[in-house]
Amino acid sequence: MRLRTNLNSRASLPASAPAVYIALLLLLTAVLLLSPIVVVAQPPATPTETQVEAAFLFKFGSFVTWPNPAPNNTFAICVLGRDPFGPALDSIVKGESLDGVPFSVRHIGEPSEASACRIVFVSSSEQERVRPLLTELAKLPVLTVADMPHFNDRGGMVQFVLENGRVRFEVNLTSAEKSGLTLSSQLLKVASAVKRDGGRD
Amino acid sequence: MEVEIDAMLNNYSISTKITWMNVVVTGVALIVASLSFLFYDQANARGALIDSLSTQAQILASNSVSALDFNDPQSARITLSALAASKDIEGAGLLTPDGHLFAEYWRSPNVRVNVLPTLRPDRQQTEIFIGNHLTVIRNIDFGGRRLGAIYIRSNLDMLEARRNHFLRILGLVLLACMLAALIVSAMFRRAVAGPIEALSETARTVSRERNYAIRAAPTLAHDELATLITAFNEMLSQIQVRDAALNSARSELEQRVQERTKQLVAANRDLESFSYSVSHDLRGPLEIVNGMSYIINQQYGRELSSGLKDCLDRIEDAAKRMNQLIDDMLNLARVTKSEMHRERVDLSAMVREIADELRRREPQRYVEFTIAQGIVVSADSHLLHVAMDNLIGNAWKYSSKQSQSRIEFGVRPNEHGNVYFIRDNGAGFDPRGAQRLFQPFQRLHPISEFPGTGVGLATVQRIMQKHGGHIWAEGAVNRGATFSFTLPEIS
Repeated sequence: MRLRTNLNSRASLPASAPAVYIALLLLLTAVLLLSPIVVVAQPPATPTETQVEAAFLFKFGSFVTWPNPAPNNTFAICVLGRDPFGPALDSIVKGESLDGVPFSVRHIGEPSEASACRIVFVSSSEQERVRPLLTELAKLPVLTVADMPHFNDRGGMVQFVLENGRVRFEVNLTSAEKSGLTLSSQLLKVASAVKRDGGRD
Repeated sequence: MEVEIDAMLNNYSISTKITWMNVVVTGVALIVASLSFLFYDQANARGALIDSLSTQAQILASNSVSALDFNDPQSARITLSALAASKDIEGAGLLTPDGHLFAEYWRSPNVRVNVLPTLRPDRQQTEIFIGNHLTVIRNIDFGGRRLGAIYIRSNLDMLEARRNHFLRILGLVLLACMLAALIVSAMFRRAVAGPIEALSETARTVSRERNYAIRAAPTLAHDELATLITAFNEMLSQIQVRDAALNSARSELEQRVQERTKQLVAANRDLESFSYSVSHDLRGPLEIVNGMSYIINQQYGRELSSGLKDCLDRIEDAAKRMNQLIDDMLNLARVTKSEMHRERVDLSAMVREIADELRRREPQRYVEFTIAQGIVVSADSHLLHVAMDNLIGNAWKYSSKQSQSRIEFGVRPNEHGNVYFIRDNGAGFDPRGAQRLFQPFQRLHPISEFPGTGVGLATVQRIMQKHGGHIWAEGAVNRGATFSFTLPEIS
């Protein structure tokens, strides 16, 4: 009799309950499997101007060809003068390499120290002596970059500019070619301006 | 299915069957081959489309590297818009590494798709077929860095157009092939069905005309058909030979039968004329014996001793019997020799007449006759009278010992026609001797009991046979006898 009650109470449960659970489970699995992989990207904190410039410095390496192999087997990004990037540049290049050559960041005070560099960022602190600096640097196969106005007019190669709040850059192709550098057309394509002034000093 | 096709083709000639076979086989083979090729071609075209989109994606990707790297969507859009050159490509887009849309291009606003495709992280490229569209999505890597992904969405109009074009061509080719199959099968029909039809026509002619000299026309080929025709012709030759042999054997046989018949007729005639002349010639001396013994009896009867008188009586008696015998034998011979004159004979009336005659001859006997009425047959009335005289006379004679004699004449039908019979309730006979009854000079009863020569029933049988009839007897000792006979129906 008791057994019968047991059976009855069991039977009184909705018979389809396990089936419903299994169906739900299957549905969930299907949704997980079939749904596009939803990348819930954190809206990144809008990078600052210097952070973007630091990233660009790092990325230029891919679009420039140097006439010589990297000195000391390191791709040195040198900051001439006061460093505006802080730890940003270091953290970007940390662990990165280009064609097997690891990146490094160096701080230099004079153009004479730039022989081991691939890219020289001329800090705004050196604005006063830009012309002699560039004359010196032009003798070396280094890409000169700055975010000061008229940098390219004075013989610089890449000059950051701000357009509608976005960091962009202008290119002086003549200067680069004089130093034996080749800039990829890809780079020129995204440059906001390309300067090519032929015979000027 | 097979049975249906069989039933469908059963009513058609071989040449129609061959034509249909060629056309259907060609069509089926072509359709199967074409459909296989169509599937192969479509798969190929799909592969080629994927390759093409993949290549374009790679080119666009390498041209978009700097735009992605330096965050220049405008430049990327210009790069993507180069796809306008390809009319099947509906749109494309660049995605940042975290899956956001970086730049996009659409041929027109109506084909724009808002849902971004996704690429599984472990794959470099994925192709997605949805409905009438193919989307190829591909990662963009540069200098060891993942810059993002590019996708290109194309419609499959090209595949569809290619398929439709193929099907149109297939239709035309199918039509042309069917036509070619018809023409080719017409040629084969001449080669295959032609001889078969000729053969069957020959067989029909042979069967209809029974002319075994006809031969089927041989073919130049060396195939089974040629073998069949050769075998058929050989068969005809054999039949012809056998037919000729059969014919000659038959005519030889006929000739032999005719000769034998002639010989038999001659021998029979000799035998009959011999027995006739013997009977006739015997009669002369017998007349003298009879006449002389009569004279002796008349003139010297009283003077003779009783012993001699008895001798003389016995001589007279024997001479009378011998005279009767000769009469019967002459009768028998005459029956054989005489010509038949068939006419309608009222058998019932004939039996009545004979019965009256017998009653008149022996009025002291009382015999109960039962005679079936209206029996008419086609026979020689004289011969039939001789036969009926014998049969009824026998019945009269052999029933004489009965206190109440009964003789019945009647008819009963059997499977061959009417059977006439004469039945008596007389002495009957031993059934074992039934066959001997109809042989001349054979008697089943001693003369002392029932007088007779033993020639009567032989004569009756000869008469029935002469009419093309048949006679037989049934009976048992002291239980009466039944003589049945048949006569051909009146034609």
